[in-house]
Amino acid sequence: MARRRYHDGLALHQALPGQFLPFLVAAMSFLAALALAGGIAAHGLSQRWTHGAGAVTTVQVPGPDDPAAGSGTRIAAVQDILAHTPGIITAHRLSDAELRSLLAPWIEQTGDASLPLPAVIEVHTAAGQDPMPPLLPRLEAIAPGVMVEHDSVWSDRLAALAASLQACALLAVLIVMTVAVCVVMAATRAGLQTRRQAIALIHSLGAMDSYIAGRFASRVGLLALVGGLGGSLAALPMLLAMSHLAAPFSAVTDAQATAPVDWRDPRAWADIVPHALLWMLLALPPAAGMTGWVTTQLTVRAWLRRLP
Amino acid sequence: MFRLHDVSYAHGGSARVAALSHISLDVPQGEFRWLLGPSGAGKSSLLSILSLEVQASAGMVEILGVPVMQARRSNLARLRRRIGTVWQDFRLLPDLSVFDNVALPLRLQHRAEDEIAHEVHAIMKWVGLENRLDARPLQLSGGEQQRVAIARAVIYRPALLLADEPTNALDERQAGRLMAMFHRLAELGTTIVVATHNDAIVEKYPAPAIELAHGHMVRDYR
Repeated sequence: MARRRYHDGLALHQALPGQFLPFLVAAMSFLAALALAGGIAAHGLSQRWTHGAGAVTTVQVPGPDDPAAGSGTRIAAVQDILAHTPGIITAHRLSDAELRSLLAPWIEQTGDASLPLPAVIEVHTAAGQDPMPPLLPRLEAIAPGVMVEHDSVWSDRLAALAASLQACALLAVLIVMTVAVCVVMAATRAGLQTRRQAIALIHSLGAMDSYIAGRFASRVGLLALVGGLGGSLAALPMLLAMSHLAAPFSAVTDAQATAPVDWRDPRAWADIVPHALLWMLLALPPAAGMTGWVTTQLTVRAWLRRLP
Repeated sequence: MFRLHDVSYAHGGSARVAALSHISLDVPQGEFRWLLGPSGAGKSSLLSILSLEVQASAGMVEILGVPVMQARRSNLARLRRRIGTVWQDFRLLPDLSVFDNVALPLRLQHRAEDEIAHEVHAIMKWVGLENRLDARPLQLSGGEQQRVAIARAVIYRPALLLADEPTNALDERQAGRLMAMFHRLAELGTTIVVATHNDAIVEKYPAPAIELAHGHMVRDYR
Protein backbone atom coordinates (compact mmCIF):
# COMPACT_ATOMS: atom_id res chain seq x y z
CA MET A 1 0.00 0.00 0.00
CA ALA A 2 1.37 3.39 -0.96
CA ARG A 3 2.85 5.40 1.85
CA ARG A 4 1.45 8.93 2.00
CA ARG A 5 3.11 12.15 3.08
CA TYR A 6 2.72 12.92 6.74
CA HIS A 7 0.28 15.79 7.34
CA ASP A 8 -1.12 16.86 10.68
CA GLY A 9 -2.86 20.01 9.48
CA LEU A 10 -0.58 22.48 11.26
CA ALA A 11 0.94 23.61 7.93
CA LEU A 12 3.84 25.29 9.71
CA HIS A 13 5.42 26.46 6.44
CA GLN A 14 2.38 28.74 6.13
CA ALA A 15 2.19 29.66 9.81
CA LEU A 16 5.91 30.40 10.12
CA PRO A 17 7.27 31.43 6.71
CA GLY A 18 10.93 30.67 6.14
CA GLN A 19 12.07 34.15 5.05
CA PHE A 20 11.02 36.58 7.77
CA LEU A 21 12.26 34.91 10.94
CA PRO A 22 15.72 33.78 9.78
CA PHE A 23 16.42 37.27 8.44
CA LEU A 24 15.54 38.91 11.76
CA VAL A 25 17.45 36.32 13.79
CA ALA A 26 20.44 36.80 11.46
CA ALA A 27 20.35 40.55 12.14
CA MET A 28 20.14 39.92 15.90
CA SER A 29 22.97 37.37 15.75
CA PHE A 30 25.12 39.82 13.79
CA LEU A 31 24.61 42.51 16.45
CA ALA A 32 25.22 39.99 19.24
CA ALA A 33 28.44 38.87 17.54
CA LEU A 34 29.68 42.47 17.39
CA ALA A 35 28.76 43.10 21.02
CA LEU A 36 30.41 39.87 22.16
CA ALA A 37 33.49 40.70 20.11
CA GLY A 38 33.68 44.05 21.90
CA GLY A 39 33.41 42.30 25.25
CA ILE A 40 36.09 39.75 24.37
CA ALA A 41 38.41 42.50 23.07
CA ALA A 42 37.88 44.54 26.24
CA HIS A 43 38.65 41.46 28.33
CA GLY A 44 41.87 40.84 26.35
CA LEU A 45 43.05 44.43 26.74
CA SER A 46 42.18 44.33 30.42
CA GLN A 47 44.36 41.25 30.86
CA ARG A 48 47.26 42.89 29.02
CA TRP A 49 46.97 46.16 30.90
CA THR A 50 46.68 44.65 34.35
CA HIS A 51 49.41 42.06 33.76
CA GLY A 52 51.69 44.29 31.68
CA ALA A 53 52.64 47.73 32.98
CA GLY A 54 51.02 47.11 36.32
CA ALA A 55 53.21 44.09 36.94
CA VAL A 56 56.42 46.12 37.22
CA THR A 57 57.46 47.21 40.72
CA THR A 58 60.37 49.48 41.60
CA VAL A 59 62.40 48.87 44.77
CA GLN A 60 64.71 51.72 45.95
CA VAL A 61 67.45 50.78 48.42
CA PRO A 62 69.15 53.84 50.04
CA GLY A 63 72.80 53.40 51.02
CA PRO A 64 73.10 50.17 49.03
CA ASP A 65 76.65 49.51 50.06
CA ASP A 66 76.02 50.03 53.78
CA PRO A 67 76.07 46.89 55.92
CA ALA A 68 72.74 45.15 56.22
CA ALA A 69 71.13 44.19 59.51
CA GLY A 70 72.46 40.63 59.15
CA SER A 71 75.63 40.28 57.06
CA GLY A 72 76.80 41.68 53.71
CA THR A 73 75.56 44.85 52.04
CA ARG A 74 72.00 46.06 51.98
CA ILE A 75 71.67 45.68 48.22
CA ALA A 76 72.99 42.11 48.28
CA ALA A 77 70.59 41.16 51.07
CA VAL A 78 67.59 42.71 49.28
CA GLN A 79 68.49 41.05 45.98
CA ASP A 80 68.89 37.72 47.75
CA ILE A 81 65.37 37.99 49.24
CA LEU A 82 63.86 39.03 45.89
CA ALA A 83 65.62 36.20 44.08
CA HIS A 84 64.08 33.61 46.40
CA THR A 85 60.56 35.01 46.53
CA PRO A 86 57.93 33.00 44.60
CA GLY A 87 55.96 35.10 42.11
CA ILE A 88 58.91 37.28 41.14
CA ILE A 89 60.08 36.53 37.61
CA THR A 90 63.07 38.89 37.38
CA ALA A 91 64.70 41.43 39.69
CA HIS A 92 67.02 43.61 37.63
CA ARG A 93 69.25 46.15 39.38
CA LEU A 94 69.66 49.23 37.20
CA SER A 95 73.31 49.94 36.42
CA ASP A 96 74.82 53.33 37.23
CA ALA A 97 74.57 54.25 33.56
CA GLU A 98 70.87 53.25 33.39
CA LEU A 99 70.17 55.14 36.58
CA ARG A 100 71.94 58.32 35.51
CA SER A 101 70.25 58.13 32.10
CA LEU A 102 66.89 57.86 33.89
CA LEU A 103 67.67 60.78 36.16
CA ALA A 104 69.50 62.90 33.58
CA PRO A 105 66.86 65.67 33.31
CA TRP A 106 66.91 66.33 37.05
CA ILE A 107 70.63 65.84 37.65
CA GLU A 108 71.51 68.14 34.77
CA GLN A 109 69.15 70.80 36.11
CA THR A 110 70.82 70.78 39.50
CA GLY A 111 74.22 70.38 37.92
CA ASP A 112 75.19 68.00 40.68
CA ALA A 113 76.30 64.62 39.42
CA SER A 114 77.78 63.46 42.70
CA LEU A 115 74.57 63.10 44.67
CA PRO A 116 74.37 59.80 46.58
CA LEU A 117 71.86 57.76 44.66
CA PRO A 118 69.91 54.79 45.96
CA ALA A 119 70.11 51.49 44.17
CA VAL A 120 67.01 50.81 42.02
CA ILE A 121 65.76 47.32 41.31
CA GLU A 122 63.10 46.73 38.65
CA VAL A 123 60.99 43.75 39.72
CA HIS A 124 58.73 41.88 37.25
CA THR A 125 56.09 39.77 38.93
CA ALA A 126 54.11 36.86 37.52
CA ALA A 127 50.67 37.58 36.02
CA GLY A 128 47.99 37.98 38.66
CA GLN A 129 50.44 37.90 41.56
CA ASP A 130 51.62 40.69 43.84
CA PRO A 131 54.18 39.29 46.31
CA MET A 132 55.60 42.71 47.32
CA PRO A 133 53.30 43.88 50.17
CA PRO A 134 54.05 40.92 52.50
CA LEU A 135 57.75 41.28 51.59
CA LEU A 136 58.07 44.91 52.65
CA PRO A 137 58.57 44.32 56.44
CA ARG A 138 61.44 41.88 55.73
CA LEU A 139 63.09 44.37 53.37
CA GLU A 140 62.63 47.16 55.94
CA ALA A 141 64.29 45.00 58.57
CA ILE A 142 67.49 44.45 56.59
CA ALA A 143 67.55 47.81 54.73
CA PRO A 144 65.81 50.58 56.68
CA GLY A 145 64.33 53.25 54.42
CA VAL A 146 63.73 50.86 51.52
CA MET A 147 60.88 52.05 49.23
CA VAL A 148 58.62 49.90 47.09
CA GLU A 149 56.61 51.63 44.36
CA HIS A 150 53.97 49.77 42.45
CA ASP A 151 52.68 52.11 39.78
CA SER A 152 49.17 50.70 39.53
CA VAL A 153 47.23 53.95 39.13
CA TRP A 154 47.07 53.77 35.33
CA SER A 155 46.66 50.04 35.16
CA ASP A 156 43.79 50.29 37.66
CA ARG A 157 42.14 53.00 35.56
CA LEU A 158 42.59 51.00 32.37
CA ALA A 159 41.22 47.91 34.09
CA ALA A 160 38.18 49.90 35.22
CA LEU A 161 37.70 51.17 31.67
CA ALA A 162 37.94 47.61 30.31
CA ALA A 163 35.46 46.39 32.92
CA SER A 164 32.96 49.09 31.95
CA LEU A 165 33.42 48.21 28.26
CA GLN A 166 32.74 44.56 29.12
CA ALA A 167 29.64 45.57 31.07
CA CYS A 168 28.41 47.62 28.07
CA ALA A 169 29.00 44.63 25.77
CA LEU A 170 27.09 42.36 28.14
CA LEU A 171 24.24 44.85 28.31
CA ALA A 172 24.15 45.07 24.51
CA VAL A 173 24.01 41.27 24.24
CA LEU A 174 21.17 41.15 26.78
CA ILE A 175 19.23 43.80 24.85
CA VAL A 176 19.76 41.95 21.55
CA MET A 177 18.65 38.68 23.18
CA THR A 178 15.55 40.34 24.62
CA VAL A 179 14.63 41.79 21.23
CA ALA A 180 15.24 38.39 19.61
CA VAL A 181 13.00 36.68 22.16
CA CYS A 182 10.27 39.29 21.53
CA VAL A 183 10.57 38.80 17.76
CA VAL A 184 10.27 35.02 18.11
CA MET A 185 7.29 35.41 20.45
CA ALA A 186 5.55 37.77 18.03
CA ALA A 187 6.21 35.49 15.05
CA THR A 188 5.00 32.44 16.98
CA ARG A 189 1.84 34.20 18.14
CA ALA A 190 1.12 35.31 14.57
CA GLY A 191 1.64 31.72 13.42
CA LEU A 192 -0.68 30.39 16.14
CA GLN A 193 -3.31 32.91 15.14
CA THR A 194 -3.00 31.90 11.48
CA ARG A 195 -3.52 28.22 12.29
CA ARG A 196 -5.84 28.55 15.27
CA GLN A 197 -8.64 26.52 13.67
CA ALA A 198 -6.35 23.63 12.81
CA ILE A 199 -4.79 23.78 16.28
CA ALA A 200 -8.22 23.79 17.94
CA LEU A 201 -9.20 20.77 15.82
CA ILE A 202 -6.16 18.64 16.54
CA HIS A 203 -6.42 19.67 20.20
CA SER A 204 -9.99 18.36 20.25
CA LEU A 205 -8.81 15.13 18.57
CA GLY A 206 -6.44 14.51 21.47
CA ALA A 207 -3.15 16.16 20.50
CA MET A 208 -1.04 16.85 23.59
CA ASP A 209 0.21 20.37 24.33
CA SER A 210 3.74 18.94 24.13
CA TYR A 211 3.08 17.71 20.58
CA ILE A 212 1.78 21.04 19.27
CA ALA A 213 4.44 23.06 21.12
CA GLY A 214 7.12 20.64 19.91
CA ARG A 215 6.07 20.99 16.27
CA PHE A 216 6.15 24.80 16.43
CA ALA A 217 9.39 24.83 18.46
CA SER A 218 11.17 22.50 16.01
CA ARG A 219 10.24 24.77 13.11
CA VAL A 220 11.23 27.99 14.90
CA GLY A 221 14.39 26.41 16.33
CA LEU A 222 15.48 25.37 12.83
CA LEU A 223 14.72 28.81 11.35
CA ALA A 224 16.58 30.51 14.22
CA LEU A 225 19.54 28.15 13.73
CA VAL A 226 19.68 29.11 10.06
CA GLY A 227 19.37 32.78 11.01
CA GLY A 228 22.13 32.44 13.60
CA LEU A 229 24.38 30.80 11.04
CA GLY A 230 23.71 33.65 8.62
CA GLY A 231 24.44 36.24 11.31
CA SER A 232 27.71 34.54 12.26
CA LEU A 233 28.85 34.32 8.65
CA ALA A 234 27.91 37.96 8.05
CA ALA A 235 29.85 39.03 11.16
CA LEU A 236 33.00 37.07 10.27
CA PRO A 237 34.47 39.50 7.67
CA MET A 238 33.81 42.48 9.90
CA LEU A 239 35.40 40.81 12.91
CA LEU A 240 38.41 39.80 10.81
CA ALA A 241 38.84 43.39 9.68
CA MET A 242 38.42 44.76 13.19
CA SER A 243 40.83 42.21 14.65
CA HIS A 244 43.38 43.14 11.98
CA LEU A 245 43.01 46.85 12.74
CA ALA A 246 43.30 46.17 16.48
CA ALA A 247 46.45 44.03 16.08
CA PRO A 248 48.82 46.83 17.27
CA PHE A 249 46.93 46.88 20.58
CA SER A 250 46.65 43.16 21.07
CA ALA A 251 49.77 41.65 19.49
CA VAL A 252 52.49 40.41 21.80
CA THR A 253 55.35 41.58 19.57
CA ASP A 254 55.77 44.39 17.07
CA ALA A 255 56.47 41.80 14.39
CA GLN A 256 53.08 40.23 14.96
CA ALA A 257 51.35 43.59 14.89
CA THR A 258 52.74 44.57 11.53
CA ALA A 259 52.94 41.15 9.86
CA PRO A 260 51.17 40.98 6.46
CA VAL A 261 48.08 38.74 6.30
CA ASP A 262 47.25 36.26 3.57
CA TRP A 263 43.47 36.74 3.49
CA ARG A 264 42.98 33.74 1.18
CA ASP A 265 44.27 31.36 3.86
CA PRO A 266 41.60 30.57 6.54
CA ARG A 267 44.40 29.42 8.87
CA ALA A 268 45.70 32.98 8.84
CA TRP A 269 42.29 34.14 10.05
CA ALA A 270 42.68 32.02 13.16
CA ASP A 271 45.92 33.88 13.93
CA ILE A 272 44.21 37.26 13.64
CA VAL A 273 40.94 36.62 15.45
CA PRO A 274 41.14 35.69 19.15
CA HIS A 275 40.21 32.05 19.70
CA ALA A 276 37.46 33.01 22.15
CA LEU A 277 35.87 35.03 19.36
CA LEU A 278 36.00 32.10 16.93
CA TRP A 279 34.38 29.82 19.50
CA MET A 280 31.74 32.49 20.11
CA LEU A 281 30.96 32.63 16.37
CA LEU A 282 30.61 28.84 16.33
CA ALA A 283 28.39 28.84 19.42
CA LEU A 284 26.11 31.63 18.19
CA PRO A 285 23.96 29.57 15.73
CA PRO A 286 23.12 26.78 18.22
CA ALA A 287 22.49 29.41 20.89
CA ALA A 288 20.09 31.22 18.54
CA GLY A 289 18.38 27.92 17.69
CA MET A 290 18.05 26.99 21.35
CA THR A 291 16.71 30.44 22.26
CA GLY A 292 14.10 30.15 19.49
CA TRP A 293 13.15 26.62 20.54
CA VAL A 294 12.71 27.46 24.24
CA THR A 295 10.87 30.74 23.54
CA THR A 296 8.46 28.99 21.17
CA GLN A 297 7.81 26.12 23.56
CA LEU A 298 6.85 28.58 26.31
CA THR A 299 4.81 30.82 23.97
CA VAL A 300 2.81 27.95 22.46
CA ARG A 301 2.16 26.27 25.81
CA ALA A 302 0.93 29.58 27.26
CA TRP A 303 -1.31 30.11 24.20
CA LEU A 304 -2.73 26.58 24.43
CA ARG A 305 -3.83 27.29 28.02
CA ARG A 306 -6.77 29.21 26.56
CA LEU A 307 -8.08 25.92 25.21
CA PRO A 308 -9.78 23.67 27.79
CA MET B 1 -20.44 6.03 29.61
CA PHE B 2 -20.79 9.39 31.23
CA ARG B 3 -22.39 10.99 34.26
CA LEU B 4 -23.40 14.60 34.78
CA HIS B 5 -24.59 15.88 38.12
CA ASP B 6 -26.18 19.31 38.54
CA VAL B 7 -24.18 20.71 35.61
CA SER B 8 -24.61 24.34 34.56
CA TYR B 9 -22.86 26.21 31.79
CA ALA B 10 -22.86 29.87 30.78
CA HIS B 11 -21.09 31.44 27.83
CA GLY B 12 -20.54 34.96 26.51
CA GLY B 13 -17.61 36.36 28.52
CA SER B 14 -18.52 39.13 30.95
CA ALA B 15 -22.17 39.25 29.85
CA ARG B 16 -22.76 35.63 30.80
CA VAL B 17 -25.73 33.87 29.23
CA ALA B 18 -26.91 30.65 30.83
CA ALA B 19 -26.87 27.87 28.24
CA LEU B 20 -27.45 24.91 30.56
CA SER B 21 -28.94 24.80 34.06
CA HIS B 22 -28.73 21.97 36.58
CA ILE B 23 -28.45 19.06 34.15
CA SER B 24 -28.09 15.57 35.63
CA LEU B 25 -27.62 12.52 33.42
CA ASP B 26 -26.27 8.99 33.68
CA VAL B 27 -25.76 7.17 30.37
CA PRO B 28 -24.19 3.69 30.64
CA GLN B 29 -21.76 2.04 28.23
CA GLY B 30 -23.14 0.91 24.88
CA GLU B 31 -26.29 3.05 25.08
CA PHE B 32 -27.68 5.12 22.23
CA ARG B 33 -29.44 8.40 23.10
CA TRP B 34 -31.16 10.97 20.97
CA LEU B 35 -30.55 14.52 22.19
CA LEU B 36 -33.65 16.51 21.32
CA GLY B 37 -34.84 20.07 21.59
CA PRO B 38 -35.43 23.16 19.49
CA SER B 39 -32.65 25.53 18.41
CA GLY B 40 -31.17 27.30 21.44
CA ALA B 41 -32.25 24.52 23.80
CA GLY B 42 -28.63 23.81 24.80
CA LYS B 43 -27.96 20.67 22.73
CA SER B 44 -24.70 21.98 21.26
CA SER B 45 -23.56 23.25 24.66
CA LEU B 46 -24.16 19.82 26.18
CA LEU B 47 -22.24 18.16 23.34
CA SER B 48 -19.42 20.71 23.81
CA ILE B 49 -19.14 19.75 27.47
CA LEU B 50 -19.16 16.04 26.63
CA SER B 51 -16.56 16.49 23.86
CA LEU B 52 -14.36 18.49 26.31
CA GLU B 53 -14.48 21.60 24.11
CA VAL B 54 -15.66 23.68 27.06
CA GLN B 55 -15.71 23.19 30.80
CA ALA B 56 -18.93 23.21 32.75
CA SER B 57 -19.37 26.31 34.93
CA ALA B 58 -20.65 24.22 37.83
CA GLY B 59 -21.50 20.65 38.75
CA MET B 60 -19.75 17.31 38.26
CA VAL B 61 -18.83 15.78 34.90
CA GLU B 62 -17.46 12.24 34.64
CA ILE B 63 -16.70 10.82 31.21
CA LEU B 64 -15.47 7.26 30.68
CA GLY B 65 -14.59 7.11 34.36
CA VAL B 66 -12.52 10.33 34.35
CA PRO B 67 -13.66 13.20 36.60
CA VAL B 68 -13.22 15.98 34.05
CA MET B 69 -13.17 18.99 36.37
CA GLN B 70 -10.21 17.61 38.36
CA ALA B 71 -8.29 15.96 35.51
CA ARG B 72 -4.82 17.14 34.39
CA ARG B 73 -4.47 18.54 30.87
CA SER B 74 -2.51 15.50 29.67
CA ASN B 75 -5.25 13.17 30.96
CA LEU B 76 -7.90 15.27 29.19
CA ALA B 77 -5.91 14.94 25.95
CA ARG B 78 -5.82 11.15 26.38
CA LEU B 79 -9.56 11.18 27.14
CA ARG B 80 -10.25 13.15 23.93
CA ARG B 81 -8.66 10.28 21.97
CA ARG B 82 -11.49 8.05 23.21
CA ILE B 83 -14.23 10.48 22.19
CA GLY B 84 -15.37 10.86 18.58
CA THR B 85 -17.27 13.97 17.56
CA VAL B 86 -19.20 14.81 14.40
CA TRP B 87 -19.62 18.57 14.45
CA GLN B 88 -22.47 20.31 12.71
CA ASP B 89 -19.98 22.41 10.69
CA PHE B 90 -17.84 19.29 9.93
CA ARG B 91 -14.53 21.07 10.82
CA LEU B 92 -12.52 19.52 8.01
CA LEU B 93 -9.14 21.09 7.32
CA PRO B 94 -9.36 22.65 3.85
CA ASP B 95 -5.66 22.34 3.03
CA LEU B 96 -5.55 18.61 3.72
CA SER B 97 -6.84 15.91 1.38
CA VAL B 98 -9.81 13.76 2.36
CA PHE B 99 -7.37 10.94 3.15
CA ASP B 100 -5.30 13.13 5.46
CA ASN B 101 -8.38 14.57 7.18
CA VAL B 102 -9.68 11.10 8.01
CA ALA B 103 -6.21 9.84 8.95
CA LEU B 104 -5.61 12.76 11.33
CA PRO B 105 -6.82 11.12 14.60
CA LEU B 106 -4.76 7.99 13.93
CA ARG B 107 -1.66 10.05 13.15
CA LEU B 108 -2.04 11.92 16.42
CA GLN B 109 -2.03 8.50 18.07
CA HIS B 110 1.24 7.73 16.22
CA ARG B 111 -0.18 4.68 14.44
CA ALA B 112 1.89 3.07 11.68
CA GLU B 113 1.29 4.51 8.19
CA ASP B 114 0.41 1.10 6.73
CA GLU B 115 -2.22 0.56 9.40
CA ILE B 116 -3.55 4.10 8.86
CA ALA B 117 -3.85 3.55 5.11
CA HIS B 118 -5.70 0.28 5.67
CA GLU B 119 -8.15 1.84 8.16
CA VAL B 120 -8.79 4.90 6.02
CA HIS B 121 -9.49 2.86 2.89
CA ALA B 122 -11.87 0.61 4.81
CA ILE B 123 -13.88 3.42 6.39
CA MET B 124 -13.96 5.49 3.21
CA LYS B 125 -15.25 2.49 1.32
CA TRP B 126 -17.98 2.15 3.90
CA VAL B 127 -19.06 5.81 3.52
CA GLY B 128 -18.86 5.45 -0.25
CA LEU B 129 -16.06 7.93 -0.87
CA GLU B 130 -13.16 5.62 -1.62
CA ASN B 131 -12.67 7.38 -4.96
CA ARG B 132 -12.38 10.85 -3.42
CA LEU B 133 -9.36 10.28 -1.17
CA ASP B 134 -7.19 12.86 -2.92
CA ALA B 135 -9.91 15.53 -3.15
CA ARG B 136 -9.89 18.61 -0.92
CA PRO B 137 -12.92 19.10 1.34
CA LEU B 138 -14.03 22.21 -0.55
CA GLN B 139 -14.26 20.11 -3.72
CA LEU B 140 -16.91 17.93 -2.06
CA SER B 141 -20.67 18.46 -1.68
CA GLY B 142 -22.17 19.11 1.77
CA GLY B 143 -23.30 15.50 2.06
CA GLU B 144 -19.86 14.20 1.10
CA GLN B 145 -18.18 16.49 3.61
CA GLN B 146 -20.54 15.20 6.29
CA ARG B 147 -19.62 11.60 5.43
CA VAL B 148 -15.92 12.47 5.65
CA ALA B 149 -16.54 14.06 9.08
CA ILE B 150 -18.36 10.91 10.20
CA ALA B 151 -15.54 8.71 8.91
CA ARG B 152 -12.98 10.78 10.87
CA ALA B 153 -15.07 10.49 14.06
CA VAL B 154 -15.48 6.72 13.96
CA ILE B 155 -12.18 5.59 12.42
CA TYR B 156 -10.53 5.09 15.82
CA ARG B 157 -13.58 3.30 17.31
CA PRO B 158 -14.20 5.77 20.13
CA ALA B 159 -15.75 4.69 23.42
CA LEU B 160 -18.05 7.74 23.30
CA LEU B 161 -19.43 9.08 20.02
CA LEU B 162 -21.12 12.48 19.86
CA ALA B 163 -22.86 13.74 16.75
CA ASP B 164 -24.52 17.09 16.17
CA GLU B 165 -27.16 16.86 13.41
CA PRO B 166 -25.18 14.15 11.55
CA THR B 167 -27.93 13.40 9.03
CA ASN B 168 -28.60 17.02 8.03
CA ALA B 169 -26.91 16.84 4.65
CA LEU B 170 -27.53 13.14 3.98
CA ASP B 171 -30.22 11.61 1.80
CA GLU B 172 -32.57 9.03 3.27
CA ARG B 173 -30.54 6.02 2.15
CA GLN B 174 -27.30 7.39 3.56
CA ALA B 175 -29.04 8.43 6.78
CA GLY B 176 -30.33 4.87 7.11
CA ARG B 177 -26.84 3.44 6.62
CA LEU B 178 -25.48 5.87 9.22
CA MET B 179 -28.12 4.94 11.79
CA ALA B 180 -27.43 1.26 11.19
CA MET B 181 -23.75 1.91 11.83
CA PHE B 182 -24.51 3.82 15.03
CA HIS B 183 -26.59 0.93 16.35
CA ARG B 184 -23.87 -1.53 15.40
CA LEU B 185 -21.25 0.59 17.24
CA ALA B 186 -23.55 0.76 20.29
CA GLU B 187 -23.83 -3.03 20.27
CA LEU B 188 -20.02 -3.18 20.27
CA GLY B 189 -19.92 -1.00 23.42
CA THR B 190 -19.72 2.58 22.13
CA THR B 191 -21.91 5.07 23.99
CA ILE B 192 -23.59 7.32 21.41
CA VAL B 193 -25.38 10.67 21.71
CA VAL B 194 -26.94 12.14 18.56
CA ALA B 195 -28.39 15.65 18.66
CA THR B 196 -31.13 16.39 16.16
CA HIS B 197 -34.33 18.30 15.67
CA ASN B 198 -35.35 16.03 12.80
CA ASP B 199 -38.51 14.43 14.20
CA ALA B 200 -38.89 12.13 11.20
CA ILE B 201 -35.62 10.33 11.77
CA VAL B 202 -36.31 10.03 15.50
CA GLU B 203 -39.67 8.41 14.73
CA LYS B 204 -38.11 6.11 12.16
CA TYR B 205 -35.31 4.99 14.50
CA PRO B 206 -36.84 5.00 17.96
CA ALA B 207 -34.37 5.05 20.87
CA PRO B 208 -34.12 6.54 24.38
CA ALA B 209 -33.90 10.34 24.32
CA ILE B 210 -32.78 13.33 26.37
CA GLU B 211 -34.89 16.41 25.73
CA LEU B 212 -33.75 19.94 26.49
CA ALA B 213 -35.58 23.28 26.41
CA HIS B 214 -34.12 26.69 27.33
CA GLY B 215 -31.08 25.02 28.90
CA HIS B 216 -33.12 22.80 31.20
CA MET B 217 -33.68 19.10 30.94
CA VAL B 218 -37.30 18.47 30.11
CA ARG B 219 -37.04 14.72 30.33
CA ASP B 220 -34.69 11.75 30.09
CA TYR B 221 -36.86 8.93 28.86
CA ARG B 222 -36.12 5.47 27.61
